[in-house]
Amino acid sequence: MVIERPRWWIYGLVAVIGLAILVPFIWMVLTALMTTDQTLRVPPTIIPLPPTLDGVHTVFNKLPFFRLLSNTFLVSVGRALATLVISALAAYALAIVKVPGARIVLVLVLTLIMVPGDIFIIPNFSIIAGLHLTNTLVALALPNIFDVFGVFLLYQFFRGMPRELIEAARIDGASHLRILFTIVVPVSRSGLIALAILTVLNEWKELLWPIVVNRDVDQLTLGPGIALLRGAAVTDWNVLMAAGAMAALPMIVIYLLLQKQFVSSMARSGLK
Amino acid sequence: MTSSTLLRSSTVATPGPRRNKRRGFGRRDALIGFLFLIPLLAGLLLFRFYGFAYNVWLSFTKAGAFGPPQFIGWGNYQQLFSDSQLAVAVVNTFKFAIIIVPVVIVVSLLCATVMQYKFRGQSAFRAIVFLPAVFLPTAIIFVFGWLFQTQYGLINTTISSLGSSPVSWLGSSTGVTVVITVIVVYLSFSVPTIILYAGMQEIPTEMYEAATLDGARPVRRFFSITLPLLSPSLFFVILTTTIGVLKLFDVPYLLLPPEQSTSVNYGMTVLYYYYQLAFVGIGQRGYAAAVSLVLFVLILAVSLIMFRVQRRFVHYGEDG
Repeated sequence: MVIERPRWWIYGLVAVIGLAILVPFIWMVLTALMTTDQTLRVPPTIIPLPPTLDGVHTVFNKLPFFRLLSNTFLVSVGRALATLVISALAAYALAIVKVPGARIVLVLVLTLIMVPGDIFIIPNFSIIAGLHLTNTLVALALPNIFDVFGVFLLYQFFRGMPRELIEAARIDGASHLRILFTIVVPVSRSGLIALAILTVLNEWKELLWPIVVNRDVDQLTLGPGIALLRGAAVTDWNVLMAAGAMAALPMIVIYLLLQKQFVSSMARSGLK
Repeated sequence: MTSSTLLRSSTVATPGPRRNKRRGFGRRDALIGFLFLIPLLAGLLLFRFYGFAYNVWLSFTKAGAFGPPQFIGWGNYQQLFSDSQLAVAVVNTFKFAIIIVPVVIVVSLLCATVMQYKFRGQSAFRAIVFLPAVFLPTAIIFVFGWLFQTQYGLINTTISSLGSSPVSWLGSSTGVTVVITVIVVYLSFSVPTIILYAGMQEIPTEMYEAATLDGARPVRRFFSITLPLLSPSLFFVILTTTIGVLKLFDVPYLLLPPEQSTSVNYGMTVLYYYYQLAFVGIGQRGYAAAVSLVLFVLILAVSLIMFRVQRRFVHYGEDG
């Protein structure tokens, strides 16, 4: 693409887009530092002076915030690990061992990517209930770890592995598991990182499934957890904004630290 | 077993060159390969196939949250046609898709185009554009609920201070549509931007240089070079965004909670309706299962139509 000298309209657009993204977030943080009184004024209070942590205290009173945070961490890591292991094993069988019938399985995988299975909440709920897993953290992750998208993503990475390398390792007597973990996985690192990040982000955005399968607030993640505040009879906006700002923070920090990996992972969701 | 016959026939059908590629891997390797596939296939069998079959069966029954389902034949399907609430949900869902998808595409094309230029603060701008992809949706939906709040929300207080009368955003169909559009676009334009940006990077510079020499201005270059060469990424982005909006749940659910909102119908989507049927109150799970199959068929139909249409418009290049 031609790189031209920026024109005035580029700077105009940059300013408009940047503000449109940041202002809602900044307003959330500012409101989080107000008293409920300050949120109910016309004209509105813009800068909370002095800032107060009333909202934050109320959030801690109404929600087991740290429990939600650690649940989010556990479920995301667990779901990502399980997804990686299951997808990597399957992709290895399809791309490297090329088991008989690999094509049929691949067609199945590609078809299921196109078919929206995640809308069937009732059968998933019945299965989880049948396994006596409702109101557990495992329930949040279990239906999602059999990730056909992940299998296809890793399949594309594994397919590029040099054949000679695998065969040499076989001749040296290395087992397939060993080849997978010591040769294939390190070479395909970027694919696995992409899948891990995309899986964590998917878990981060989950709402419908958690509120259905886990009614107990102690077994929820941050998103559905703070959503419980919305149902309360009184809507204190400073409390809601405090909860939102506190809950949104961890992923923002992680993103700022790992920006490059996040961006390239999201580009991979394009599956080219 | 049918599966093993299938597998055997596929081995027999393997032509010479592919067999050569599999040189060195014998029966034992194949066996281990199958073992590696078991976790995936077992999970898919349980959650996708059994789940789907169970859902289909349930759709022919009368089932609540408690007690065993009773078979009632086509009853639920007959009910679908006389259900005005479902009609509202389907119309809303399509309305949101038709409004939101073009806005997402235009916004992400705009962002991706801006990112092609070099300017001061470029990397900061990039970081900001991708931020919404990691924002917690619940938190963002709360913020917009607060911004659009009727009495004290920043948007209405600004409108009043400019001398106009405040708008009841969540009190009218148009208002709810505007609010939902803003939130969904905000939450979902980042990933399309990344994909379109990557697509733009792949377009060879010479094409632009040649066009510039021929006197094509930036707007002309955008429509004659960028858009056609970007069409595969564009198609992918349109498809995934559309499917995402057809499955919209979190925004209307948090914006218009059933228990405290009289205007919940303005934002009722099919998935929200399904949730209400199945999990709020006594639960009508048999009927809800039928509704979920309607949504399933709608999404599948829309995807297939889009795949059909793209053949005429998407340019995959000579090698693709």
